[in-house]
Amino acid sequence: MNNLWQYRVRNLLSATIIALSFLIVGVFFSLSNNLQFLASRLAENMVVAFFLNPGISAREQARVEEVIKASPGVAHVKFVSREEALARFQKSFPELEDILKNLGSNPFPASYEAVLQKKAFLSEEALGLIEDIKALPGVEDVQFNRDWVKKMQSLSRLARAIGFFLGGILILASFFIISNVIRLNVFARKNEIEILRLVGATNTFIRLPFLLEGLSLGVLGSALSLALLSILIKLFPLYLGQSLGVLQEFINFRYLSLSQCISLIIGSALMGLLGSLSSLSRFLKI
Amino acid sequence: MPASGRSPGLETALENIGMIELYHISKQYQEGQWALMDINLHIKRGEFWFVTGPSGSGKTTLLKIIFREILPTRGQIVIDGINILRLPDHKIWKLRRSMGIVFQDFRLLFHKKVFDNVAIGLYVMGIPVKEIRRRVFNALRLVNLHQKMWEYPSHLSYGEQQRVAIARAVVNEPQILLADEPTGNLDPELAFEIIGVFKEINRQGTTVLICSHDKELIRHFGDKILFLFKGKIIGKEVQPFSRK
Repeated sequence: MNNLWQYRVRNLLSATIIALSFLIVGVFFSLSNNLQFLASRLAENMVVAFFLNPGISAREQARVEEVIKASPGVAHVKFVSREEALARFQKSFPELEDILKNLGSNPFPASYEAVLQKKAFLSEEALGLIEDIKALPGVEDVQFNRDWVKKMQSLSRLARAIGFFLGGILILASFFIISNVIRLNVFARKNEIEILRLVGATNTFIRLPFLLEGLSLGVLGSALSLALLSILIKLFPLYLGQSLGVLQEFINFRYLSLSQCISLIIGSALMGLLGSLSSLSRFLKI
Repeated sequence: MPASGRSPGLETALENIGMIELYHISKQYQEGQWALMDINLHIKRGEFWFVTGPSGSGKTTLLKIIFREILPTRGQIVIDGINILRLPDHKIWKLRRSMGIVFQDFRLLFHKKVFDNVAIGLYVMGIPVKEIRRRVFNALRLVNLHQKMWEYPSHLSYGEQQRVAIARAVVNEPQILLADEPTGNLDPELAFEIIGVFKEINRQGTTVLICSHDKELIRHFGDKILFLFKGKIIGKEVQPFSRK
């Protein structure tokens, strides 16, 4: 700790650079987590809406209901009448009341809302069944947010891949930063090392403080990045608050998971240790 | 029975065992330039030796070989019964802990207090703090600097800095004390005082080897003298008893 304090400006600067590198990694991982979360939230709401033709006969309607209920993967089915659909809209978007008044009549069709089982939601089989139901007489359209879920999931995977790619580059950069800081510290303490050797210090005794320095810089950098990420995640919704509108309730910005935080800290500690080792093996010939 | 608890016979035998034994030591730094040539030397336990000669005669090279800072080109060197050339690099610390070394340029740490400068050799040995305090105080008292224990070396005079370096060399009670021109830039009075300190340490049983070109000092204190010239021994003077 004494050594860290002795060269505090240099060490703080390098810890900050390491923190910023890890922050970028953390941002992408957090983004990926949030997209993944969003996708699973959407997937939880696995409703397929089958909108009915206004002129549908009672027989046709009964047939549609029968087919939907008999489909594998359907948890339960609910009929939403035109009046009910109108009421829902009025409740969700009270500011659009005027538009409805101008229309004069109820524009919403009646529908069947089928809640799917989670497994069935993303299966190709379900997609085929929905296509079959859509083809039934009296069914006008199908609303299905499966594409959104898939998009979210691929975006999440993309964010994670970018995180890994950038992370790899930045972690490598941090490795060289730590390696160079340790090298500077070795040079700065050249006299001390020389004296330690002459009074009979073991190699471990001489190397250990430098290894601990590298380790501490890694841990400090990652801890700092986690703190910065936490601040960013708290500030981001406040900044976007107004523009998010109704989505604000839905999007709850999530921090990294505990295992991700621990991995980040252990990874950076390991990187600090390796950075020190590489520097010591090159510049500290004992 | 002697204070060591060993039998008188064993004591005599140990006294006759060589502490520093050099066999045909030669050192070549560059092609054709020999810093040392065929040096044979046998220093017994508890002896006090001066190595003298003009600049470039190989005095410092000899010391560096003894504490294994450098390796000789030829020859063998045995310290306290161990051939140190066969000592692997990672075990040199064992040899160094049995030695105290004083350099002409002192090699003090100016950002650390006198206490820490002297204690550094004890820190590396993992000695308890209480014991470190006691030993550092005693070492500094030996060189009459115990009152300046908490000062920085930069606040001390040249002679005082030299004495700190000596205290650091003797604090771990080494078997061998090596000094390279320890009185190099000191006035004669201070130089005599410093060698007096070495003599005191020698009286406590430490084998002392001092490199110096100060003829006056050697004439006054030297009972065993090795004369070097251009890397060769050109003479040895061995008095049977210590002069001072």
